Amino acid sequence: MKIAVAGKGGVGKTTVSGTVARALARAGHNVLALDADLNPMLGVSLGVGADQTELVLAARQAIADGDAEHEPTLEGIIERFGADAPDGVRLVVASRLDVIDPGCMCCGVNPANLVRQLEHGERTVICDLEAGLSTVEKLEPGQVDVVLVVANPSGKALEVARRAVQQVDGVSEIVVIANRVRDESDVELIREVVGDREIVVIPEDPVIAAADWEGIAPIDVDPDAPGVAALVRLAERLAGAPVAA
Amino acid sequence: MAGAPAARDRAPALGDGSAPLRVAVVGKGGTGKSMIAGTMARLIARRGTPVLALDSDPLPGLSLSLGSGPEPFPPPLIDAARRDSEGRWGWSEGLTAAVAAQRFATDAPDGVRLLIRGKPGREGYRPIMSASKAFWEVTHGLVDAPEFRDWALIGDLPAGPYQVADDWAPYAHAYLVVVNPTVQAAVTARRLVRLARKRTPGAAVLIIANRVTSDDDVRHVEKLVREPVFDSVPADDEVAAAERLGAAPIDAAPYSAAVAAIDRLIAALPAVSR
Repeated sequence: MKIAVAGKGGVGKTTVSGTVARALARAGHNVLALDADLNPMLGVSLGVGADQTELVLAARQAIADGDAEHEPTLEGIIERFGADAPDGVRLVVASRLDVIDPGCMCCGVNPANLVRQLEHGERTVICDLEAGLSTVEKLEPGQVDVVLVVANPSGKALEVARRAVQQVDGVSEIVVIANRVRDESDVELIREVVGDREIVVIPEDPVIAAADWEGIAPIDVDPDAPGVAALVRLAERLAGAPVAA
Repeated sequence: MAGAPAARDRAPALGDGSAPLRVAVVGKGGTGKSMIAGTMARLIARRGTPVLALDSDPLPGLSLSLGSGPEPFPPPLIDAARRDSEGRWGWSEGLTAAVAAQRFATDAPDGVRLLIRGKPGREGYRPIMSASKAFWEVTHGLVDAPEFRDWALIGDLPAGPYQVADDWAPYAHAYLVVVNPTVQAAVTARRLVRLARKRTPGAAVLIIANRVTSDDDVRHVEKLVREPVFDSVPADDEVAAAERLGAAPIDAAPYSAAVAAIDRLIAALPAVSR
């Protein structure tokens, strides 16, 4: 299974990606968590810590700075730009570099291509996409099984979600994640924008806020907190029956 | 919130103290860059200084925070640049950076003028490449343009590091790096601080802590970013309510604590406190 996670910056894409990845791993999946965001912070939500997250980023930066060789093979990318996260999740940072060698896979010039080339067979791949629309606009049918479009109840986030849903419609299954929801009116605000489709609600949760403050994985703080538990249930759903209604 | 006065004292001067404010607002996505840039632009204009807001973010944001309504599509700058027979980009006939900025900026409330790079669509930047090229030229050409000598320039840059690396805000006397009290926002800020210092050594790099709820949050940001916080903007329910509906905070929540904090921030930036 390949899952892509899209949305405006700051809506909680990384929290969703990291927590779903950990929950899938706890359920027995072999999970590869791919970070394609320009500000690759997935390591923090996965629970590898800020320092380790920065180390992986530095390995990619070394290529951009010309201090390290490019890495043309996929397995090499997983080895060199990766770190082991708890529960057996493998984190791989594949954010776009500012100096790109055309045709080189490790530059992540097109994260959609990278996702496509990842053999998944035994592996569950979850990809935290670049904030915004640039990658979802390039997705083609068959590249991913499901796109999670994350939105919180704010005008700007909803505008990005509306456009993301428009782009992905017909390309992949879509599950809209209404994040940081406080009440039913928040859900309605989101429903007005994304239309009559499946919405998974993640309630505003002080445990997630506290985890973000500390830089640790929400699932390590309290897997039963309302927001975290909703993400664990989302992972169960994704792992189980087809998501489409 | 008072922020960290000691840190403010250590901040470098911006320009010579008489030049109008010229800043680029950067930071992780969702930290409040556009809210701060848009509100600053409106407040500076109300102080009587002409303001050009420069939006190079590919995502919607600044126009909502400015309260200027939907963005024109295609971007007005699309006619400003053209390619010659050898494929080189240049200004369309009769244009300079200053003339392009005058002609293709649109009106926002309080007399603010807004220039947009344009938002890419399904085919990326290709259909609006001329606007993108022209925007980059404008940002560089305005640095010394006499027509804009008295203008404040407020740039809202996208979340990634590339426009800082590629010098999309050469006019900036200061980078305002917006940070929330979270590790993700702080690690991103740390990276932007390094990059801005390396690529633009002449500009001040100032940390603005946004959505803080306590002095503890400010200290937490300082510890995580490893830089002093220049000023802070409080978490504000009125602003959140405005943003929920896509309204400009300065219109929907003009007396909010966050808007007041941004007004104080402007006063604290030396170049406008002349």
